[in-house]
Amino acid sequence: MDVNQYLEIFLDETKEHLESLNTQILSLEQEPENVDTINEIFRAAHSMKGMAGTMGYKRMQALTHDMENVFSEIRNGSMKVNSNLIDTLFQCLDALEEYTDNIQQTADEGTNDNQQLINMLNAFLKPGGKEQAPAKESGAAAKTEDGPAEKWMDIKIGESEQLVLSTAKSQGKNIYGLTVYVQESCLLKAARAFLVYKAVEEKAEIIVCNPPAQDIEDEKFDLDFSLIVVSECDIEDILQATRSVSEIEKVVGAAYEVEEAVAEKQSTERAAETKPAAPAQAQSAPAKANEKKTPGKPVVNRTVRVDIEKLDVLMNLVSELIIAKNSLVSASSTEGGTGRGFNEQIEYLEGVTTNLHESVMKVRMVPIESVVSKFPRMIRDLSKKLDKKMELYMSGEETELDRTVVDEIGDPLMHLLRNAADHGLESTELRLQRGKPEVGSIFLDAYQDGNNVVIEVRDDGNGIDVEGVKNKAIERGVITPEQGDNMSEKDIINLLFHAGFSTAKKISDVSGRGVGLDVVKSKIESLSGEVEVKSRLGEGSTWIVRLPLTLAIIQALMVTVGGEKYAISLGGIQTLEDISPSEVKLVQNREVINLRGSVIPLIRLSKELDIESSKSPEDNLIVVIVKKGEKLAGLVIDELMGQQEIVIKSLGKYISKCKIISGATILGDGEVALILDANALI
Amino acid sequence: MDELKVSDIGLYNVKTQDDAIQYIVIKLGDEQYGIDIKYVDNIVRVQHITRVPKVADYLKGVINLRGEVIPVMSLRIKMELPADEMTKATRIIILKLEQHGTIGVIVDEVKEVVTLGQEEIEKVSYDDKEERVNFILGVGKHNGELISLLDLNAVAMENK
Repeated sequence: MDVNQYLEIFLDETKEHLESLNTQILSLEQEPENVDTINEIFRAAHSMKGMAGTMGYKRMQALTHDMENVFSEIRNGSMKVNSNLIDTLFQCLDALEEYTDNIQQTADEGTNDNQQLINMLNAFLKPGGKEQAPAKESGAAAKTEDGPAEKWMDIKIGESEQLVLSTAKSQGKNIYGLTVYVQESCLLKAARAFLVYKAVEEKAEIIVCNPPAQDIEDEKFDLDFSLIVVSECDIEDILQATRSVSEIEKVVGAAYEVEEAVAEKQSTERAAETKPAAPAQAQSAPAKANEKKTPGKPVVNRTVRVDIEKLDVLMNLVSELIIAKNSLVSASSTEGGTGRGFNEQIEYLEGVTTNLHESVMKVRMVPIESVVSKFPRMIRDLSKKLDKKMELYMSGEETELDRTVVDEIGDPLMHLLRNAADHGLESTELRLQRGKPEVGSIFLDAYQDGNNVVIEVRDDGNGIDVEGVKNKAIERGVITPEQGDNMSEKDIINLLFHAGFSTAKKISDVSGRGVGLDVVKSKIESLSGEVEVKSRLGEGSTWIVRLPLTLAIIQALMVTVGGEKYAISLGGIQTLEDISPSEVKLVQNREVINLRGSVIPLIRLSKELDIESSKSPEDNLIVVIVKKGEKLAGLVIDELMGQQEIVIKSLGKYISKCKIISGATILGDGEVALILDANALI
Repeated sequence: MDELKVSDIGLYNVKTQDDAIQYIVIKLGDEQYGIDIKYVDNIVRVQHITRVPKVADYLKGVINLRGEVIPVMSLRIKMELPADEMTKATRIIILKLEQHGTIGVIVDEVKEVVTLGQEEIEKVSYDDKEERVNFILGVGKHNGELISLLDLNAVAMENK
């Protein structure tokens, strides 16, 4: 069979299952008795096995098969979950991931049999299985005979039926409950049920029937149905009569206690929630499962898989539409507004393009869950490797970001988490000494903040030792001792992002090779984001990663400098100021202004851009106040053109040397304007 | 934006041979240069070039080509000739290079397309003293005229 066309779907789904297995096995370790989790794991393993088999990946199938066996034992309750087992299962997941990676690269699963893992799995199965399985099995078998057999007990009695039953009781009649089981091989269940009905009706009056008589006639029942009857005969007579019908497996029945019925009604309902075999359980269980799942991840997603390239094409089309719209706007303003109707239509078009843009953006948004879901597992592994007790708490996994950003953000976050686990958290002894809880906490919180998404990695560990960082920096020759004395605490902490800097006293394979934080910083900056640290010695540190919601289309302020047009992203702009030249002061030979009490350095864009300003020195300065982190700066421009929605285009790698230009955009008249990166200027 | 039709530069009367390569012949000053046609994406008239600050002097800036932003370089400055004078004949040739992506180069004039067989091309000896030789792969002879064949990857390479 040619399965290549399914390869992509196979890979996608396998990855999804692996992800879900990872999280579910983790939560299984927390709550080994949770039936929902076990079922979920079993399902994922089972479908993975099936898919691997269909695709002809025998080794993968063999491994998942043995995993499934283990899960099945857990599900039956004949095996207990322990930390050893979880470790082995995680190793299996890693092996499966390896297969998947191989398949993705070469369409072949590779030759690793992972026999050792399979042996380990089987070792778990054997001892446990032999000792416990038979006992449990017979117990389970007994259950199916006793527990659910008297299903008539669960029948709910309506008020009118209650009345009938009470009257019958008062007339001295007997009330019985019956449950009839039809043989599994029976072909005409409805016919058999009808015969049972008839047989019973000869001896008694049927008051309640579950499922309803109509459903039974239509064969809408499994293999059993229950009745409550009123009769003057003995129960044995009725049972005898029904047993004479062929293809009936068995009939159970006993006297039905009416007095209790009213009170029992509630207790049966309550019992229904706890009794494993009660039908109500079927409804309450999924409801519970739903409560536990985070919102935004329903059990069944109604989705269509779309190639990211198709979305890119759609995005480009929307971009062009916006450019076309902008040129209409500029045409209408230069031609002096040809009537009100024209303007109205343009406003309408503007509304449509904005909405279209928003919905296309939303299509490209994915929850960061797909990235962060692997972290609990990573922290668990780290905890063992570093021999520190730690727990990861995550929130805001449903926060959405552009697909391209989500794909890139995993590694930096992983670095930060490893950093927190390795450098941030103290050793267990030290924590106890300091009176902190033995188990260290690491938090990962994501939330949306305006046009940004903020991801915070926080730990309750030692915090950053500013003096230690300073000494190390001097030792490494990153700064001179004199520089060190003049640096603020914040600047010193920022040295951590310096390339080749690592304060870890011993080098571990977790972190501390001197690559990491500088890579984190450059990666995040390449995504137009920023990262900052807040730390309190002895109390822990917080790493704050701020990412733009979207990379493709932004609101920008259009300005001119020396006759050239430039765009500045509206995101970083605080205010616009009109400053007279006399207000400009010199501090350490740098131009500053005093704006409402804060001293703000001025940056003359004409100088930065190597162009003559078109304004004379006597004219008032137009200053755009921009903010980067805590720092403010004033960009001096020649003229304001206004606010515009711009489509960001890359300058291409050929011309990327220019740091203060972050990209280009196409204006309404077809001209290219450059986008100034205010962050690089400050 | 005006784009030249292929017929404008005489492609219709070109015979193709198996081992022959087609070149677009351009003028730069008094000399003729050939650009391998397989790298040519498009030829456009000069339009507004947006200057990019703080880049090499031969990078004139960027233009908008059907919604894409394309860097444009001056062949003249790169080859240490006097700076470009924009005339009616000036064109920007859009090149697609594997290494460098899409780049536009400014030329004085686009003359024609010629087909040169291997026997019509003479390899030039490498000369350390003259910088410009580095940009030339060989010299083609066509109708008694000499055409210097440009090594486009060398042209697009950054100056040290």
